[in-house]
Amino acid sequence: MSDAPVRTEGLTKVFYDESRGEVRAVDGVDIACSAGEILGLLGANGAGKTTTLRMLSTVLRPTGGRAWVQGYEVREAPEQVRANLGFHSASTALYPKITPRETLRFFARVNRYPAEGVEARVEELIRRFRLEEYADTRVEKLSSGMKQKVSMARTVAHDPPVLIFDEPTVALDVLNAIELRAIIAGLRKEGKAILFSTHIMSEAEQLCDRIAIIHHGRILATGTLEELRTATGLHYLEDIFVRYARVRSPAEAERDNLGGDLPGGGHP
Amino acid sequence: MDLRQIWTLYRHELRCALRERSILVMSIVLPVVLYPTLLWATFAGMSFVGGQAERQTSRIAVEALPETHQALFDSLEAGGNVALSPLAGPADEAYGEIARGRLDALVRFEPEGEGNAGLENNFRAVIAFNAARDRSRGARGRVEAAVETYRQAWIDEERKALGVQDSVWADFGVARNDLSTPDEGTRFLLGLLVPFLTLIMVALAAFYPAIDATAGERERSTWETLMTVAAPRGNIATAKYLYVATLAAMGGILNLAALTLSLQWIVGPLGGAEELARGGIPLSAFPVIAAGTALVALFVAAGMLVFAIFARNFKEGQSMITPFYMLIILPVVFIQSPDVELTNRLALVPVVNVALLIRETIMGGISVVPGALTLVSMTAFVALSVTFAQWIMRREEVLLGAAEGGLGQFLGRQFRNRRRGGS
Repeated sequence: MSDAPVRTEGLTKVFYDESRGEVRAVDGVDIACSAGEILGLLGANGAGKTTTLRMLSTVLRPTGGRAWVQGYEVREAPEQVRANLGFHSASTALYPKITPRETLRFFARVNRYPAEGVEARVEELIRRFRLEEYADTRVEKLSSGMKQKVSMARTVAHDPPVLIFDEPTVALDVLNAIELRAIIAGLRKEGKAILFSTHIMSEAEQLCDRIAIIHHGRILATGTLEELRTATGLHYLEDIFVRYARVRSPAEAERDNLGGDLPGGGHP
Repeated sequence: MDLRQIWTLYRHELRCALRERSILVMSIVLPVVLYPTLLWATFAGMSFVGGQAERQTSRIAVEALPETHQALFDSLEAGGNVALSPLAGPADEAYGEIARGRLDALVRFEPEGEGNAGLENNFRAVIAFNAARDRSRGARGRVEAAVETYRQAWIDEERKALGVQDSVWADFGVARNDLSTPDEGTRFLLGLLVPFLTLIMVALAAFYPAIDATAGERERSTWETLMTVAAPRGNIATAKYLYVATLAAMGGILNLAALTLSLQWIVGPLGGAEELARGGIPLSAFPVIAAGTALVALFVAAGMLVFAIFARNFKEGQSMITPFYMLIILPVVFIQSPDVELTNRLALVPVVNVALLIRETIMGGISVVPGALTLVSMTAFVALSVTFAQWIMRREEVLLGAAEGGLGQFLGRQFRNRRRGGS
């Protein structure tokens, strides 16, 4: 995995809070995601998923450890890191006063997509995400499903090799969530390395090639669903998650007869 | 610094802003329509009120007019807008009527004092009126004008009867020689008005864009997305800064253009103020006004961004920027006195220095050293404020909106952290 498009080693983020003192939001996270793979980051609210993804996308600066995107280290080459990834959050995060076509043009240009190819890329995305009908309608007038599509198209506007989805389906209805997952699966086929954070077990089961369980800022286990099942002897991901979440450290996991078979648990 | 990328970000900010109604109104429409509307309304109102007053009949009661001066009585009534009546009862009753607005004035003709006893039928007209009522003031004016005309004619007749020649009489006259040019009065007035209103417009035009560029992004949840584009933070901050400064400068310049055109096209045809209608702002003043406006716009844009960056939504943005807005406007209000001049010391006070420089330029009496000092110090203030804004806008906790409170609290935390040795 050393040449994986996304890789972290001991990634740590400590916040200072005036009332609570030092808070370790992410504590020594080691993950890797290959091209054509969806790595699910599964954890409860406040587990450290978003902080990890924010460090990978250079929104936050790590206080410890290292992380690489396409070989660029997040602290040393943040612009190159951002040029190689597309970030999609739970909200559609679109500018309401401009049209989908203008949105795609802006994000392609600002993310340094070759200038001569921008218009062709925009047209390609409009066709691919079936935006033709409302490509020139202001975003504020679109339905939430349409906005979601525009937001997805915006994320891949500059054709980045790495994609980060931070709980993208959290505000969607069932049909839109299904459509979005289908789009993400399509992007995997194109060879993108995809990091997908969620707290919805079924979503992780359906979509992710491998799952990293994160709890209290630490990765407790990483592996395919089958590997996690084998390690825990449990079938359902929800049960597996609960089993891991109830223990607090690899040492404690070992005490519970989980550690020996932890696929990548804490030390992938 | 990638200029092409900054241009892309800047154009994007402008495009979004120019489709936002509140920004369009405050930064473009208001500066353009404010003066035409205000001036038209003021002069049309003044003309209307003046015309109304002109047409109104003055109701004047008269007491003890000497019979020999019947001609004065006739001249008052000749215009057709004065209704004279002899005083019917006691004077106190008439005063009450004047106070209630049923009568406009009471004129009582009294014999002149001892010193003038030599002149036959001499009199002094005592006018009782109510200064709080337009119509009563108008009646007083009509009586005064009629008495003065009558007096002048009387004196001329008496002079001629006594054989006093015009040339002898002229020796005691007063002749006025106003050394000011006709434009100077206008420039004095504009010198007070233009800097004040231009600076208000610059600040007002920057107000909403500054909030839109910061708290607006957070409210739309686009801030985080913007932080993940392949642009250095500095480029994003620069584009936002230039966007706010552009709209601020545009507000100031449009305001000035609207004022100039309004004076010529609206005030002139209405005949309200001929001197104002001639234009008044000398052409040579425009480059200085433009440079001053641009410098203030650059300074105000940086200042407003620094305050607004901590806001999580529009409402917070408004309350965080308002103190800075007042900080800019209040000193300019205090220098409205024409006696305050641009000195070397005042040239070091941002915004105030530009206001005084613009005023002096319009009045045509620019002082070179304080003028140059103003431009240099203002440029330095702009550089400082931009550097500070860039520093603030790169702070992680500010970018994420995790910095609780406003600028003051943030700086306090930074200071405490530094003392603790943390970051």
